[in-house]
Amino acid sequence: MAIKRWMLPDGMEEALPPVSWQLEDLRRKLLDHYRAARYELIFPPMIEHLDALLTGAGSDLEQQIFKFTDPASGRLLGLRADMTPQAARIAARRYADQDSVRLCYLGTVLRTSPDSQGGPRSPRQVGCELFGEPGIEADLEILRLMLDTIQLAGVANVHLDLGHVGIYRALASKLALDEDEQATLFDILQRKSHPDLAEFAASSQRLNGLAPTFSALIDLNGDVSVLERARHALVGADDGLADALATLQKAASALQAQFPTVPVHVDLAELRGLQYHTGLVFAAFVPGHGREIARGGRYDGVGHEFGRPRAATGFSADMNELIRLGA
Amino acid sequence: MTGLTLALSKGRILDESLPLLEHVGIAPAGDIDRLLRVPSTRADVSLVMIRPADVPTYVEHGAADLGIVGKDVLMEHGGSDLYEPLDIGIAQCRMSVAAVKGYVAPRNRRLRIATKYPEIARRFYAARGEQVEIIKLYGSMELAPLVGLADQIVDLVATGNTLRANGLVEVEKICDISSRLVVNKASMKMKHAAIQHLIDAFRDADAKRVRAS
Repeated sequence: MAIKRWMLPDGMEEALPPVSWQLEDLRRKLLDHYRAARYELIFPPMIEHLDALLTGAGSDLEQQIFKFTDPASGRLLGLRADMTPQAARIAARRYADQDSVRLCYLGTVLRTSPDSQGGPRSPRQVGCELFGEPGIEADLEILRLMLDTIQLAGVANVHLDLGHVGIYRALASKLALDEDEQATLFDILQRKSHPDLAEFAASSQRLNGLAPTFSALIDLNGDVSVLERARHALVGADDGLADALATLQKAASALQAQFPTVPVHVDLAELRGLQYHTGLVFAAFVPGHGREIARGGRYDGVGHEFGRPRAATGFSADMNELIRLGA
Repeated sequence: MTGLTLALSKGRILDESLPLLEHVGIAPAGDIDRLLRVPSTRADVSLVMIRPADVPTYVEHGAADLGIVGKDVLMEHGGSDLYEPLDIGIAQCRMSVAAVKGYVAPRNRRLRIATKYPEIARRFYAARGEQVEIIKLYGSMELAPLVGLADQIVDLVATGNTLRANGLVEVEKICDISSRLVVNKASMKMKHAAIQHLIDAFRDADAKRVRAS
């Protein structure tokens, strides 16, 4: 009984010395860095109305939010599971009059289930969001800040993964798939499952002859030469596809020039966050760690949901994890 | 850090994996009956032997870069946290519903289903709009309908001999099952060339096996 009383719920983290001091040191370094890059610091609330937290975020997030009812208003409230939609809300409401807005944030978020079995449900999320800049320069600015963040945490040997959800969207838009079929195809691509794609193509006529193209898409991952292969493999593609490949090429070239020691991997079937991402997406990995350590990308549709349509791109990471990997 | 770790499912899949691995140029260099981790004849590949149901977990966490595991285990495990680029065609069987010969479904209560695969069973019955009670068992499924523990079972069927011997019949096939090569997502991105090379080698070995049979 006494033991039970002192146990923390699964996935809830607390920081004690010396880790707590390491976290504080890192917090100061990161915020100084973001401030020098002219990012404004925001402290969004821990709790918001559920519908605000879910605006433009997609159904993946809904399952991740702890929910309860506000005794004062009877409305459903949620504990924040991701600060990105909060930053988008603040950018749209508080900074609606500015052409571009740069925001950074740092704080604990809570999730009903961990990203991986046995993982944390209370990541200490840190991130930067850049609104109102549609060009590739904005994506590169965010990518730089993400790599800086990882480096300031003392994490070495970073690998970058680049993708672009526009490629899948351009191909999927040629198909008349219903919601279930879209979910099935999305799941197949996320698992790069050639056998399941073949089965799906055989059981449904909806792939219209695009089955070989999707099959090629699954294999379009590797070093930057993938982009050249894609131009030949994804034939019959429209402008959306050519634009996406051009954006990836520019991003990869710029990264190689600025971060020559960071290996860049390209994966055209990587659809992380497809529900809200609209363009370039990226993630950082380190050897010996089976999952991404930071992620981000473009999500131009979210501002519209908050009544202020505006381009947006950003990244986020879990500071607790960066500290663990950097130590 | 550049080497690859390949997780193998102990049991029937392991027996059928070894000839295929040989085609790829990999053979265990150690006593795989006793040791859980052995080097292989290829300096860049080491092997770990684990229970089939644990393979997805090891690979998801990056404790192994690749694994060989049955589709049944992957379906039960769920999620999309692994790449499964290749069906290597070994350990073929099917996931089926079975019941006592001459069985009639009860009308006045929910069906009771005994299975080692609660998730697969739940999805299968849910897809046809049937609310069922699922009883998770760890072995000897065939006994459950005989002693009135369950109305039907959901289990792997290879030859059907065990079913027949116990007076059961296969009522319906849920899906075909064989083994797949799975890959950790981070490894695929950071050790791409080595892993793609291995996937291609497995694909060639599988094609040869199909042609030979």
